[in-house]
Amino acid sequence: MSGTDNPGPNEIIHQTLRLRLMAALTALPTGDSSLDSGLDFSRLKKLTGATDGNLGAHILALEKAGYVRVDKSFVDRRPRTEVTATKAGRAAFAAHVAFLKSVIGE
Amino acid sequence: MTIEKSEAAAALDDIASIVERVKQSTFYRNAGAILVMWGVLVACGYLATYLMPARGGLIWIALHIAGTGGTIALLRRQRLQAGHVLQARGAADLRALAALAIFFGFGLLWSVVLGRMGAREMGAFWPTLFMFGYTLAGLWFGRAFIALGLTITALTVVGYVWAGPLFEPYMAVVDGGGLILCGLWMRRA
Repeated sequence: MSGTDNPGPNEIIHQTLRLRLMAALTALPTGDSSLDSGLDFSRLKKLTGATDGNLGAHILALEKAGYVRVDKSFVDRRPRTEVTATKAGRAAFAAHVAFLKSVIGE
Repeated sequence: MTIEKSEAAAALDDIASIVERVKQSTFYRNAGAILVMWGVLVACGYLATYLMPARGGLIWIALHIAGTGGTIALLRRQRLQAGHVLQARGAADLRALAALAIFFGFGLLWSVVLGRMGAREMGAFWPTLFMFGYTLAGLWFGRAFIALGLTITALTVVGYVWAGPLFEPYMAVVDGGGLILCGLWMRRA
């Protein structure tokens, strides 16, 4: 269930860590500018309290759903993985948050 | 998939907490760069004053002009990097610069007009004035600023009383080093 047009819960996003990931990524600017609008792997790990393996698996799940984009590069000769929420991901997250709010009656 | 009211409420709380953490982390990272820059300038200022005490006034005026220019440049760069969503922060940046101007104004009023301070008193007054500002800002922007403000203030008092003729080098380490260390820590937050 991937629900930008579905009023129900989004099963991909609702998992605790994926929910945190999407919350962190959508708290950033939309990325309409060509400049940095994602979060790197280590910062995401700190913000969400995830372990390396766990984080990688859940980012992959979100990437497969088209909710995030993963960019790998080298900065100062060190590998850097940056994750950015896509437009579809932002819309799906917003729809899921709206659903959660409707459940609690907001 | 059904979601109970309590589960939905917990998920929304979790989201709010993560968003807050991202904002705090972003703020710390941006502020960290500015603190490191001021730390380097302040350390250079104390060392230069120690080596050329007669030129202390000029040295500090030049460093503060450089620091204010650097702060403006860093704020602009950070706003550009953040993209259009944070452009609304322009007003907040202006307030930050206004706050800086107010602190300089207050400091100049006391150090030039009202106070009768020697070089050593000036060397202790300015950092404690700015640390007072950091401590107050910490009430809104994060505990790291409070820790920084109180620690450097306490160490400045210690140096003022006990550092003897090595007060300037001591302050280069304590004030400059403290700002750099705190800034680096914030950059990693």
